Amino acid sequence: MDNPEQTPFDQELAATLRRGRAVSVPGFADRVVGVVRADRRRRTIVRWSSALAATAAVFVALLTLSGTSEEALNRQTFALVARDESAQLADLLGAADDLSLLAPVAERPAVVETFVASGS
Amino acid sequence: MSQEEPMLPDDEDDKRLMGLVAGGDDDALRLLVHRHHARLVGYLRGEVGSQATAEELAMEVFIRLHRAAARWRPEAKLSTYLIHIARNLVLNEWRRRGRKPTTALEFAAEPGDLSQGSARRVAELDEAFQRAILQLAPEQRTAILLVVQQELPYEEIAEIMDAPVSSVKTWIHRARARLRELLKDFYAQE
Repeated sequence: MDNPEQTPFDQELAATLRRGRAVSVPGFADRVVGVVRADRRRRTIVRWSSALAATAAVFVALLTLSGTSEEALNRQTFALVARDESAQLADLLGAADDLSLLAPVAERPAVVETFVASGS
Repeated sequence: MSQEEPMLPDDEDDKRLMGLVAGGDDDALRLLVHRHHARLVGYLRGEVGSQATAEELAMEVFIRLHRAAARWRPEAKLSTYLIHIARNLVLNEWRRRGRKPTTALEFAAEPGDLSQGSARRVAELDEAFQRAILQLAPEQRTAILLVVQQELPYEEIAEIMDAPVSSVKTWIHRARARLRELLKDFYAQE
């Protein structure tokens, strides 16, 4: 741009622009470092928040997906009952009751009728 | 037009510092900012015509540089990379605002030891040039600022602007023509 053949226009354009070539701002570097530190903290918080949210989402998903079906619940109940001896005894007694109830009813002759019959 | 290499910071040292920045070294970042901010703010002020906006954008450039430090590959000079980010931010800023930069200039001439009359003319010319530059098309403004103000070679400007060198030359030619037209009152005798 220092070409002697340049017109006054070119020379003044260059002179004008070069006066504003470098504009030193006192304390600018410290300001930048301060803003960068704040930005770094903010990004760290955002990163941790995202990680926590993702972990929570996975936890909830696991709980939801591993929930037992009705059939599985029934099987588990039967298994528990099978290990319970008192329940087994109750079952047996209950079955005995059921058998006595289901047994055919034989009408026993009345005591008087039996006595009369033997006397005659 | 001479395309002398401007006095740039040692690029190898910039690369070393970027490695430290990637590792979280704030002192290295402070040193990089101290080295590069003045030219960055100067370029951005030429683009947007406002010192405050230029400083805000320069701040954003360094924040982005810090975020990208771990991924940064030294394929280009750091100064080129910084101006590349800065230009993209300027384009985003205009898109966001839906308009071009304001003509509210804050440019103050530095008259030095000029006489009062000369100083006034310098101030008037400075303001006229700055207003005219803000009226250029974005590509023309960026190209003329980078070649005349920042004294960058065409190849580096092409890299910054993601364009072929021939386009850069065309933009610069058109920018000069447009500036002449806008400032014809000052240069009617030429």
